[in-house]
Amino acid sequence: MINLKVVSPQKVIFEKEVEMAVLPGAEGDFAAMPNHSPFISSLRPGQMVIMSANKVDESFFVSGGLVMLKEKVCEVLVDQIESLSDVNSSNYQQSKTFQELEGNETALGTFEQVVNNPPYK
Amino acid sequence: MPNLKELKNRISSVKSTKKITSAMKMVAASKLRRAQELAESSRVYADSLGFILSSLAGNTKNSSDLPEILTGRENSKISLLIINSSDRGLCGGFNSNLFRNAKNWISEQQEKGKSVKIITVGKKASSFYKKTDLNVIANFDDLNSNDKQLQVSEEIKNKIMELFKNNEIDEVSILFNKFVSVITQEPTYQSLIPLSNEEADEEMTDTSNAVFEFEPDKNELLEYLVPRNFLTQIYRSVLESSASEHAARMTSMDNATRNAGDMIDGLTLTYNRTRQAFITKELIEIISGAEAV
Repeated sequence: MINLKVVSPQKVIFEKEVEMAVLPGAEGDFAAMPNHSPFISSLRPGQMVIMSANKVDESFFVSGGLVMLKEKVCEVLVDQIESLSDVNSSNYQQSKTFQELEGNETALGTFEQVVNNPPYK
Repeated sequence: MPNLKELKNRISSVKSTKKITSAMKMVAASKLRRAQELAESSRVYADSLGFILSSLAGNTKNSSDLPEILTGRENSKISLLIINSSDRGLCGGFNSNLFRNAKNWISEQQEKGKSVKIITVGKKASSFYKKTDLNVIANFDDLNSNDKQLQVSEEIKNKIMELFKNNEIDEVSILFNKFVSVITQEPTYQSLIPLSNEEADEEMTDTSNAVFEFEPDKNELLEYLVPRNFLTQIYRSVLESSASEHAARMTSMDNATRNAGDMIDGLTLTYNRTRQAFITKELIEIISGAEAV
């Protein structure tokens, strides 16, 4: 298990033990698992998922940020994050993230894409 | 002999002042709790970001490889000072301490032959520096909500990035009241450009045993990190300052309430003495009148 800690500039969003987390790295998606080599990367807008037993447990949209990966710790510094459990293609335009991303076309485009057709299901 | 009615009026006016100050104290106390929570919860992000930045900068052995927005320009001429004040008054020496401190700093810089530009945060600073002949380039005020605090931090960050790029400033420092405890707040300077590496030194021992891989390469990461770091540092100083403001207001209102209480006690004593003196006087008049008959 790896300790996944997600923080925004305002607060710690959550911190928990997970089997595997897949993150949208700037140069491609990567999975954070225990004993990964120490690694620092920036994130592109995209989908972040928490997985166990090869199934997606939880799915999030992140608008960008940084990740620092150490042996047993994965720290994700996000700009904006939204859980996709209640957001679907019919109501995503009312979500907070959608409104906040206005003017940021790349991130907004990715958000729509992730909601309507998530890369990880 | 003081007039009884006058005394009564004074007592009631001091009483209502006391009510106001004690209410303000309560309000400040509850706002302080919230501001303190915010300042603490934002610390995690700032610390992690600082750690990443220092491991990046520390990894680059040759400091000339680093962009000048991190290391600062050689023979810098223009300093920018960001002053974090409050929007409202009645908070003791909170703002005046800050301005006195800033004045010393500014004259120090001017002695070194640097010119100083100022960005003010909060209404108190903007009205104070309007009267001076210093070069104030921007004002930000009405920081009454957390969203607004973040938004203002973002605007300041964009401003300094732009000014630095156009060679209009060479150095940037923030001045804010650091929240030490409820009774002490300390005017503190923090240097943004060049990056102060106090924290970096501490963390260096930590990073030496973990060599990170970076993706994308360091320069691209730095390009993302540097503005992020500015934003976080500015945001942090704004939050510290707001926690300090509420703490300062709480202590000064507490003092005011206590002083009002002392004053009421004194006035009530005088009132009662005067009242008794009147009664005695009237009795003497009646008795001596009866004796005369």
